[in-house]
Amino acid sequence: MTKKEILLKKRYNSEKRFKLYGQFAIGFALLFLFIFLFKIFSTGFTAFQKTLLKVDVTYDKELLYLDENPTLEDLKDADYYELALKSMADLDPNATEEQQNQLKRMVSYIFDTEIKNHLLKNPDLLGQTSSVLLTASDDLDQVYKGNFPRDIPEKQRRVSDYQLKIYDQLVDDGKVISNFNFSFFTRADSREAELAGIASAVVGSFFTILVCLVISFPVAVLAAIYLEEFAPKNRITDFIEVNINNLAAVPSIVFGLLGLGVLLAIFHLPRSTSLVGGITLSLMTLPTIIIAARASLKAVPPSIREAALAMGASKMQTTMHHTVPLSMPGTLSGTIIGLAQALGETAPLILIGMVAFINTIPMSPMDPSASLPVQVYLWAESAERGFVEKVSACIMVLLGFLILMNLLAQIVRHKFETKWS
Amino acid sequence: MKKINAKNVNVAYGSKQALFDINIDIEEKQVTALIGPSGCGKSTFLRCLNRMNDVIDICKVTGEIYINDFNILDKKCDVVRLREKIGMVFQKPNPFPKTIYENIAYGPTIHGMTQSKAEMDEVVETSLKKAALWNEVKDRLHEVGTGLSGGQQQRLCIARAISVRPEVILMDEPCSALDPIATAQIEELIDELKNEHTIIIVTHSMAQAARVSQNTGFFHLGNLIEYGSTDKIFKNPENQKTQDYITGRFG
Amino acid sequence: MNTNTPHTVKSYEEELKNLNNNIVKMGTLCEEALRKSINALITNNADEADKIIKNDEEIDKFENLIEQQVVNLIALRQPLAIDLRETVTALKISSDLERIGDLSKNIAKRSLLLSSNLSKNLIDILNTLSENVQKQLKSVIDSYLERSSSMAINVWESDEKIDNLTNQCMQASIDFLKEDPKNLQNGTHLLFVSKNLERMGDHTTNIAEQVYFLVKGEYLEGDRPKNSEIGK
Repeated sequence: MTKKEILLKKRYNSEKRFKLYGQFAIGFALLFLFIFLFKIFSTGFTAFQKTLLKVDVTYDKELLYLDENPTLEDLKDADYYELALKSMADLDPNATEEQQNQLKRMVSYIFDTEIKNHLLKNPDLLGQTSSVLLTASDDLDQVYKGNFPRDIPEKQRRVSDYQLKIYDQLVDDGKVISNFNFSFFTRADSREAELAGIASAVVGSFFTILVCLVISFPVAVLAAIYLEEFAPKNRITDFIEVNINNLAAVPSIVFGLLGLGVLLAIFHLPRSTSLVGGITLSLMTLPTIIIAARASLKAVPPSIREAALAMGASKMQTTMHHTVPLSMPGTLSGTIIGLAQALGETAPLILIGMVAFINTIPMSPMDPSASLPVQVYLWAESAERGFVEKVSACIMVLLGFLILMNLLAQIVRHKFETKWS
Repeated sequence: MKKINAKNVNVAYGSKQALFDINIDIEEKQVTALIGPSGCGKSTFLRCLNRMNDVIDICKVTGEIYINDFNILDKKCDVVRLREKIGMVFQKPNPFPKTIYENIAYGPTIHGMTQSKAEMDEVVETSLKKAALWNEVKDRLHEVGTGLSGGQQQRLCIARAISVRPEVILMDEPCSALDPIATAQIEELIDELKNEHTIIIVTHSMAQAARVSQNTGFFHLGNLIEYGSTDKIFKNPENQKTQDYITGRFG
Repeated sequence: MNTNTPHTVKSYEEELKNLNNNIVKMGTLCEEALRKSINALITNNADEADKIIKNDEEIDKFENLIEQQVVNLIALRQPLAIDLRETVTALKISSDLERIGDLSKNIAKRSLLLSSNLSKNLIDILNTLSENVQKQLKSVIDSYLERSSSMAINVWESDEKIDNLTNQCMQASIDFLKEDPKNLQNGTHLLFVSKNLERMGDHTTNIAEQVYFLVKGEYLEGDRPKNSEIGK
């Protein structure tokens, strides 16, 4: 072969090798991604299943201390605890007092409310027997899901032999049901794993991001417009630009300290609220949006500006009528990405106190709340086995939101870019 | 009648001088062509006439340019009002990414030239008719302007420029991005427009300058070498450099 | 103004040079035709005359060639300024040269019909006239070659002299006619020959006007100096 042919062959070979390296690198990265997702999904999907026990309840008027013809009000005010206890005890008529206690612990502590709600839905059941679905306790829930080994000595188990016996009996009778866990989405956090839900965290995150958006978006966009279009090109402007770029790289926990020191200590804003969380995150998101907005303003072709100026538009009119609307897709998609980042922030929110145990759903940004990533942290710290799957489920929900937001950013960018390319 | 008088106009970009002592008188309601090799300063001069060089920070313009006996290089000159009277068409068609209607309506809107929608409709129709585009777009005024062909887009830009009824229209190589048929349509348009507007056109094509203009100025390295009637310049120029350029003896 | 700098496109430069050379070659052929035709007339050389008549084809071919070159230049090069003048004047000059060639051919044809030798007087006058016309032709072709407007003007102004000489020649021919009725045929031919020579002089003056326009870009002002009164 001639020298030329040898060189040519070498070039082709090195190209093939390079392609192979690239494919290998991608494969490697994808592998890790799949392992991660698989782990999360396999641990978390069981959180979406709720184990329920079907228990027969006889709505005895006497146990409820009701009159002959009770009104709906009377039904609502009645105390169902005794009735509930009796219903659980009836599962094993021969149970001792200790065993009755254990029976009670086989369901969640809201079992009396569940029985009450069942009656309120159908008041005609008063005086009759009906099957009520009661939420199983977190320990029983884990037994059902196979996470608790049954062959270790009783002392090391959370579930006693007796409870297991009753449980197996119920399983044989077909009285153990598994439904989709809607309450995961509707209930706030709880000490009991079977009742814990992400509702407060979702609403808390929502308010936090809302506050963040409302503060950072206008400030950032206006700052970007000023810096890009109107500010004179001198050392001061360069200095500001360098600092903004640096701010984007500051570790987020520093902003948490800022929030703690300024918002809480000086301004005495209410602790643990999404208001404070939102303000802290907006400081963090500001540089991201400014940078995205400036880049998209720069990307508007100068020919459009020239055309507007040549028509006799003033600088302000040119910017507001033409440059800014055309830069909006890039700015919006940068904003959405910035917000998606803010959604996943944990450290600054922990510092400003959004790590407290919140078991109510916040109604406004001024109410104390948690956020999704902080909720993950809290549950990961808990000892109960029932929280393990919930951690993964919460991560799945968080990932879902992030993917959605990034998808939205892509759609926005794509839809507007095709309009004027 | 002389519409524009430029006296001792010098332009520098930072330390590099681009135009040296330009003195030129532009006739009213005629087409004046500015020709010359690349980088000779003809576009720079054109942009002085509507103060578009202001957007370039390092550009310094000295001298006087009188339009209707008013020196537009004076500090007191209102640039926005000036650009209402002097329109510009660029090399690459640059319609706004809005509807055709909005493109034409933009100028009259910001200058407050119409009172009602009916008036605006009329302005849009008149401008498009004058630009020989009306028949092609009258059924799709509310489609986006960037969906037209190259030649149509350039005519849209011309219609946009004339919507504010300028006295002078500046054209910076308006046909260089167009095919020969679109070019011919624009040249025909220029011929008609000169009845109502003074037109100054910068062009790389000498044949085009010879076809459309009544007066021609030849620029070289920032100097105005020769300026006279198109007839004279292309049949019997006075300056050797002019002749060398137009006959292709440069380089 | 000069055209020292060559065209950037070399083939264009070549085409213009080629056109120029063709005009000069055609002019040289015409000079020869004129000289030889008068010679054939005076020496009554039939062979020479036949050759001249045949060679006129060459001159006609040149005119066709130049015409084609001019049309090509206009269509393909769109010449401007000096190049435009070169192209347009080449067309007109070749037309004048072709006419000169035809007139020489005509003289040669008439020489075949002249029956006897001519008197010394007539020969002298004819020679003088033809020499001057030859000089004019040579001068004008030189002025084209050298792009000299002053030489062209000289030719233009000297046309009057040609007219005077022609008048003398024609008068001599008329006298010759009157002398003897047998001289009718010869005399008539001589009249035509004189007229041909005068027409050739006019054509050279046309060429001079074209050369002036080529060099100066303006037209020669005023009527050319003329003397058209016979007998003066």
